[in-house]
Amino acid sequence: MTESVEAQGHSYAAARLRLLTEEAQSGPPRRAALARLTDQWLADLAADAARATGAGGWALLAVGGYGRGELSPRSDLDLVLLHEPGDAKGSVSALADRLWYPVWDLGLALDHSVRTPAEARKTAADDLKVQLGLLDARHLAGDAAMTAGLRSAVLADWRNQAPQRLPALHELCTERAERQGELSYLLEPDLKEARGGLRDATTLRAVAASWLADAPREGLEEARTRLLDARDALHLVTGRATDRLALQEQDQVAAALGLLDADTLLRQVYEAARRIAYASDVTWREVDRVLRSRAARPRRRGLLGRGRTAGAAPPPERVPLAEGVVEQEGEAVLALAAKPDRDPVLPLRAAAAAAQAGLPLSLHAVRRLAAAARPLPVPWPAEAREQLVTLLGAGESTVPVWEALEAEGLVTRLIPDWERVRCRPQRNAVHRFTVDRHLVEAAVQAAGLTRRVHRPDLLLTAALLHDIGKGWPGDHSEAGEVIARDVAARIGFGPADVDTLALLVRHHLLLIDTATRRDLDDPETIRTVAETVRDTSTLELLAALTEADALATGPAAWSTWRASLLADLVGRVAGALDTGALPESADSEPTAEEERLAIEAARTGGPVLALHAYTEEEAEGEARQQALGVELLLAVPDRPHLVARAAGVLALHRLTVRAADLRAFDPIGEGPVALLSWRVSAEYGALPEAARLRADLARAFDGSLDIEARLAEREAAYPRRRGITPPPPRVTVAPGHTSQTATVLEVRAHDAPGLLHRIGLALASTSVTVRSARISTLGSNAVDAFYVVGKDGNPLPDARAAEVARQVEAALR
Amino acid sequence: MKLITAVVKPHRLDEIKEALQAFGVHGLTVTEASGYGRQRGHTEVYRGAEYTVDLVPKIRIEVLVEDADADQLIEVVVKAARTGKIGDGKVWSLPVDTAVRVRTGERGPDAL
Repeated sequence: MTESVEAQGHSYAAARLRLLTEEAQSGPPRRAALARLTDQWLADLAADAARATGAGGWALLAVGGYGRGELSPRSDLDLVLLHEPGDAKGSVSALADRLWYPVWDLGLALDHSVRTPAEARKTAADDLKVQLGLLDARHLAGDAAMTAGLRSAVLADWRNQAPQRLPALHELCTERAERQGELSYLLEPDLKEARGGLRDATTLRAVAASWLADAPREGLEEARTRLLDARDALHLVTGRATDRLALQEQDQVAAALGLLDADTLLRQVYEAARRIAYASDVTWREVDRVLRSRAARPRRRGLLGRGRTAGAAPPPERVPLAEGVVEQEGEAVLALAAKPDRDPVLPLRAAAAAAQAGLPLSLHAVRRLAAAARPLPVPWPAEAREQLVTLLGAGESTVPVWEALEAEGLVTRLIPDWERVRCRPQRNAVHRFTVDRHLVEAAVQAAGLTRRVHRPDLLLTAALLHDIGKGWPGDHSEAGEVIARDVAARIGFGPADVDTLALLVRHHLLLIDTATRRDLDDPETIRTVAETVRDTSTLELLAALTEADALATGPAAWSTWRASLLADLVGRVAGALDTGALPESADSEPTAEEERLAIEAARTGGPVLALHAYTEEEAEGEARQQALGVELLLAVPDRPHLVARAAGVLALHRLTVRAADLRAFDPIGEGPVALLSWRVSAEYGALPEAARLRADLARAFDGSLDIEARLAEREAAYPRRRGITPPPPRVTVAPGHTSQTATVLEVRAHDAPGLLHRIGLALASTSVTVRSARISTLGSNAVDAFYVVGKDGNPLPDARAAEVARQVEAALR
Repeated sequence: MKLITAVVKPHRLDEIKEALQAFGVHGLTVTEASGYGRQRGHTEVYRGAEYTVDLVPKIRIEVLVEDADADQLIEVVVKAARTGKIGDGKVWSLPVDTAVRVRTGERGPDAL
C-alpha cells in the first residue's frame, strides 16, 4: 500500500511538473487542469486511506482558491477533512495522517483542518477567513451528502448573519488596504493582499453570496483572471509562493506572460486592480446603504403597527452641495434638476463639491455624467477651471473622487494628455506610486501648502501637471513644459499664467537639484536660480511645488536634511530677487459709470448699486439660459464696517464673492466715497433681484439690518456639513515696501460663506481703516490683500501691523 | 584595510565621486548627515529674522580601501572636497579587520 501511495505521489508530481513547465497551457485552463490533476490524486489517496483505516462518515473538501478550482503553481492546498462526531477508534486521525503526510512529502504547502460539520460552522461563525474559505467549498472525496449539507448550512448562515458580518468584513478589508497600500499605484505591489488585489476580488464574491448587494460585474472577471495569470507567472519565475511583484522580477514575469516589457505588465495589472478596487468601493457603499435602510425599517414598523404595508419609505434626505449636486445617504449625487447634457461644467462641479464635502461621488452620478456630459468648450470657461482647482485643493478626499472620474474615463476626456501618464509605472527606487497617482498625490500635498503662496490655483495645477511629460522621449521636464503649456491654455489660464505654469513644470527639479548638489555660497549659483525663477511669487510657487512633489514621491525623497538645504537656497534666492511690489490698487481712474455712481452716492448719502449679469463665452449652439455670474458695482459714502456689512449682505443673499476690488475717491469734494466692484456668483444658480439687494444694503448701512444675527440664524437653520479640514487661515504683513501709502495685510483662508464679512469685522475691531482691497477666490482658496491705514491715515508701524495680522488671524480660526 | 570616512559639503559629491572613480575606487556609501565643526554652525538672516543654524547639512562618504592606498586616497578626497571656506568638513580613516562580499563570500582585500 505504501509503495502505491508513493508511486501515486511520484506520478502526480511528474504530471504537475509537466503541466507547469512543458505544456503550452497557461491562464485559467492551466489553473483548472492543475486543480483537476490534484483532485484526482487526492481522491485516490483518500480512497486508499479510507480502505486502510476503515474510517466511515467522512468527506474531503477543497476550500478557498482550490475550492474554486483555481490552483496557481505555488498555491497552498486548502483542505478540510469533515467527519461525523465521535472518533472512538481513532480512525479519523489515522485517515488524516494518511492524507496529509503524502502532501507534505511532496513538499507542497498544505493548509488543513479536521472538523465535524458543527465545528466547521462554529469556526466559520468566529473567523471570517474560515467563513470565506468555506463559501467556496468543493467536494473531493468521501460522503458527498456531508459536503452538500455543510455547503448549504454555511451559505444559509452567511446569508442570515450578513448584516452583522459584512461590516466586520469591510473593516478587515479597510485595515488590509491601509497596511498593504493600493495595488493600482504601487510600483512593487502585492497581487493578493493590496487594495484591488485578489483577496478583494474574493471578498466581492462573498458579498454577492450574501444576496445583500452585488458588485458591478463588467470587466471584473477579466481583471481577476489577469491578476491570477500574473501571479502564476510570478510563482513560476521565483519558484516561491510570493505575491509581491518586486522590481527585479517584473521583466521575467512579463516575458513569461508573453508581454512586451515590464511596463506593459504593470499597466495591465494596474488596470485590473483599478477595476476591482472600484467595484469594491461601490459594493461596500451599497452594502452600507442596504444595511442602514434595514436598520431604519423595523422602528417604523413598530410605530405604524402591524399593517402589511408600512407606508412608502420617506424620501432620503437630500442636502444641497452645489448647483446641481446634492448629498444623499453619504454620497454626492446629481440633483433632480441637474442637466448633465446641457451643463458641461457639471462633472467638475460635482467632483469639486464631493471632494470638498469629503464625500464619494456616487457610481450612478459618475456614469450619468460620463454618458451625458458634453465636452467643455476650449478654452474652458472660468467656472470649469475654478472647479478643477477646487477639486484639487480638497486634500486627501480628492483621491477617491478623482479615481471615480478616472474609472469612467472622465479625466482623460477633460485632459486628453492624461492618457499618457495613466497607469504608467516608473522604474525608480525613490518613487512609490505610478505617475498618475503621483501627480494626484502631489496635488493633495500641495493643498496643504496653499497658504504659503499668492496663487494657490497655479500651485495646485502645477502639482497636477509637473510630471505630465513622463512617457515621452527625452527629458520629462522639457517634454512636460510643452504639454503643460497646452493643457494650461486649454483649461483657460491667461497667457501670463500659462507662462508661469510652463516655467514651474520645466524647472520643477531646479531647486532640489541645486540645493543638494551646488555650492550655495557661490553667488553664481544663486544668480542662476534667480534668473530662471525671475520673481518672488514664482519662487514661492516653485518652493511649495518642490516640497509637494517630494512628499508625494516617497519616504526617501523628503527629509529634514533636504528641507534645510532647500530652505537655505530659497532664502538666498529670495534675497537676490526684487520683492516684486504688489500693484497699487487704489489709483486707477474710475470709469464713467463708476464716477456716475459715486457722485450719486455722495449726493444721496446712501448706497448706490448697478448689477450687470455676464455670461462666459457662450457654449456653441444653444445659448445658456442662466447668467453665470454678476458684476456688482457699489458706491457708498465711506463709513466704518463698510466691507463687513457689504460682504454680509452678499452672504445673506447666498452670493459667493469670486473677486472684488475696493477703492475710495472723492467725486464732488464732500468726503470720500468707497467704490466696490464685485464679481459674484450665486451659490445655487438663481441670482437675486437688484431691488431687494439694494434695499438690504441700505438697511445694513443704516444699521436696521442685523447681519450677524441673520447669518447666525441661517447657519442654524441649514447647518453645513463639516466636509474636509482645510489648512488653517494665515494672515501676514506683506514684506518690504509694497506700498508707500498703506500697510498691506495678506489674508489666505479656505473660502466659506460669509468669510469676507468675518474678515471685515475682524479688521474693523482692530480699528484700522481699509483704504483699498483686492479679493480673489481661487478654487476653494481666498487670497485677499487689504491696504490698511491707522487712525492717522498712515501705514501702521511694523509692530502694530504684526499685531493686527495676529488678531485677524485669530478671529478667522 | 582601512575605512575612509569623509564628512563634507553636499555639493562636492559629484567631484568626489569623479575623483574616486579616476583613482580606481569601485564602491562607496553616501549618507545624508548634519553636524557642525569648529565654526559651530552659523547665523542667517531670512525674511528679516535672524536665526541660528546649528546643524549644517553635510554628506558622509565611506570607502573601504587597501592599507597601501589609504593615504593617497585621503589626499584625493580632500582635494576634491576643498572649497577653501569654512565648513569644508573632515576626512579620517580607521583600521578594518574584516570585509566580506556578501554575494560571493570573498574575504579581505578580494572583497573590496
